[in-house]
Amino acid sequence: MGRTGHEGGGPPGLSRRELLRGAGLAAAAGATLLPAARALAADAPADLRVQGPDAVELTLTVNGAPRTVAAAPRDTLLDVLRLPLDLTGAKKVCDRGTCGACTVLLDGKPVYACSVLALDVAGRSVTTAEGVVGGAGRAVADAFVAKDAMQCGFCTPGMLVACAAAVAEHGPSLTLEQARAATAGNLCRCGTYPHVLEAALAAAKTAKGR
Amino acid sequence: MKAFRYERPTTVEAAVRAHAGGALLKANGIDVLDRMKERLDQPDRVVTLVDVPGLDRVERRPDGSLSIGAMTTLATLAASADVAAACPTLATAAGQAASPALRNRATLGGNLGQHTRCGYYRFASFRCFKRGDADCPVQAPGGVQEPAGIFGIDLCACAHPSSLAPVLAAGGAVAVVASAKGERRVPVAALYEPPARGKASDWVLGEGDVLVRVEVPPVVAGSHRVGYEEVRQKAAFDWPLVVGAVWVAARDGVVADARVWLGAVAPSPWRAEAAEKALVGKPFTAAQAAVAGEAAVAGATPLPGTAYKVELVKVVVRRALVAALERRS
Ligand SMILES: Cc1cc2nc3c(=O)[nH]c(=O)nc-3n(C[C@H](O)[C@H](O)[C@H](O)COP(=O)(O)OP(=O)(O)OC[C@H]3O[C@@H](n4cnc5c(N)ncnc54)[C@H](O)[C@@H]3O)c2cc1C
Ligand code: SF4
Ligand code: FES
Ligand code: FES
Repeated sequence: MGRTGHEGGGPPGLSRRELLRGAGLAAAAGATLLPAARALAADAPADLRVQGPDAVELTLTVNGAPRTVAAAPRDTLLDVLRLPLDLTGAKKVCDRGTCGACTVLLDGKPVYACSVLALDVAGRSVTTAEGVVGGAGRAVADAFVAKDAMQCGFCTPGMLVACAAAVAEHGPSLTLEQARAATAGNLCRCGTYPHVLEAALAAAKTAKGR
Repeated sequence: MKAFRYERPTTVEAAVRAHAGGALLKANGIDVLDRMKERLDQPDRVVTLVDVPGLDRVERRPDGSLSIGAMTTLATLAASADVAAACPTLATAAGQAASPALRNRATLGGNLGQHTRCGYYRFASFRCFKRGDADCPVQAPGGVQEPAGIFGIDLCACAHPSSLAPVLAAGGAVAVVASAKGERRVPVAALYEPPARGKASDWVLGEGDVLVRVEVPPVVAGSHRVGYEEVRQKAAFDWPLVVGAVWVAARDGVVADARVWLGAVAPSPWRAEAAEKALVGKPFTAAQAAVAGEAAVAGATPLPGTAYKVELVKVVVRRALVAALERRS
């Protein structure tokens, strides 16, 4: 299955992203009609639900709006956000929970989307960097620009989400120590940490108190 | 990751059945997903505990002890007033582990059940005794030794990754494990066994065993003191290099009983019995803490690359004891 975006090319005139997104939707339609899958579910005991191995329908709230996608048990939340939802803010860098580039909010709390199975968060609320910029975290994003808090930008969406969570939690009382602790799980290879922390503190000053 | 069938029980009994039937057990999946992405594990079936209600509950019982559900996150442990009151070092250890985003997902059960971080174990292209090969490349010439252990490392030299397990072992905690035969109680001190060829995990839980909760006796103010100390290469977002957890019962300033446990120095959490002996019957002082620190390395067989951990153990044990001595609770 190529939906994680690692596999090779496609027909000319169609971007790989479009092609793969199309394949994902087709898989969704197939899964809901598959008689074998339904039979399996009917056989299962009352205290056991079985999903997959093929894609099943998954509904979750993403950046405030309900979204329904096809997801297989092995798809991570990060896979589903980037393809098919086309929210590419969260980056797949280590894919092992060791860098923070894929940080998103799950019910308001930071988690690594690469280390969460998509089907585990059915019905829950996910906020990506896009949602932070378009919502309550706008001031944090503006502070990142004002304080020049990025170089290559690869860690930036994850840093932004982590900082927005810290600002939301602590408000104007956010301390340097707290901002440091909140971003302890976000690595920056370019070393922009001082500017990131400045941006978080600047944004916190403009935030409403709790 | 290979495709798998996802089994989502809503009762512990159904989870036990699925696990006994060969499905790989998953809590929130931080470690399990890593292993599956690396194809160390390629199960056709995965059973998860995420839909079983009630497993994420922390309760303070009338006798002051804690009952902590296996699906409780490290973030919950770090923030819980009940944990802070009944076993403060558990809150400290949980709050310093990993990173905020990981602590929001990492469960207690998964923390105790996580497999070794040995770099050879983690990549299928290397040889590894734990994965069934005859020998351990850490011990071979040119082997990368720095993350490895200093005790009990003749067959497998890895270091146990959990910083919570030594705290629970020192605190006398008991794991409650469900299986097809019913529930059994296993002291955390007896939760791990020596490495065996081809046995990926050193803990005693097998197929069909599901950790339900961990029970922690209360640290009684005035009678018991606890301390925790760790040394890390990075302040956060990594596993510690050495962990020390101590529990001391003192009467009139004299140690009546002591438990000293170490993490990240042996394939399993390691009990430093010589350090305990150095404390019992003696006045509980900073000077005696230093003596116990020296004693804690008795029996160490470090590799050239892990000799530095011998010095770290002495310091960590001394500091954990001094922290216990100075703790006002
Ligand atoms: C970058 C990084 C840094 C980390 N730093 C630290 C650290 O400093 N200190 C530390 O202690 N840990 C650290 N960890 C480890 C982390 O705490 C564990 O990976 C996490 O707790 C696993 O929980 P989980 O729910 O995701 O477990 P899973 O990945 O779902 O499970 C892990 C293992 O435990 C078994 N298991 C889980 N629950 C049960 C149960 N109830 N019954 C029986 N078996 C069970 C599973 O079968 C599996 O083998 C770190 C992890 C990462 C990625
Ligand atoms: S130390 Fe243990 S886990 Fe690491 S390679 Fe050797 S046998 Fe495998
Ligand atoms: S990509 Fe998820 S933590 Fe690195
Ligand atoms: S700006 Fe380049 S990794 Fe952070």
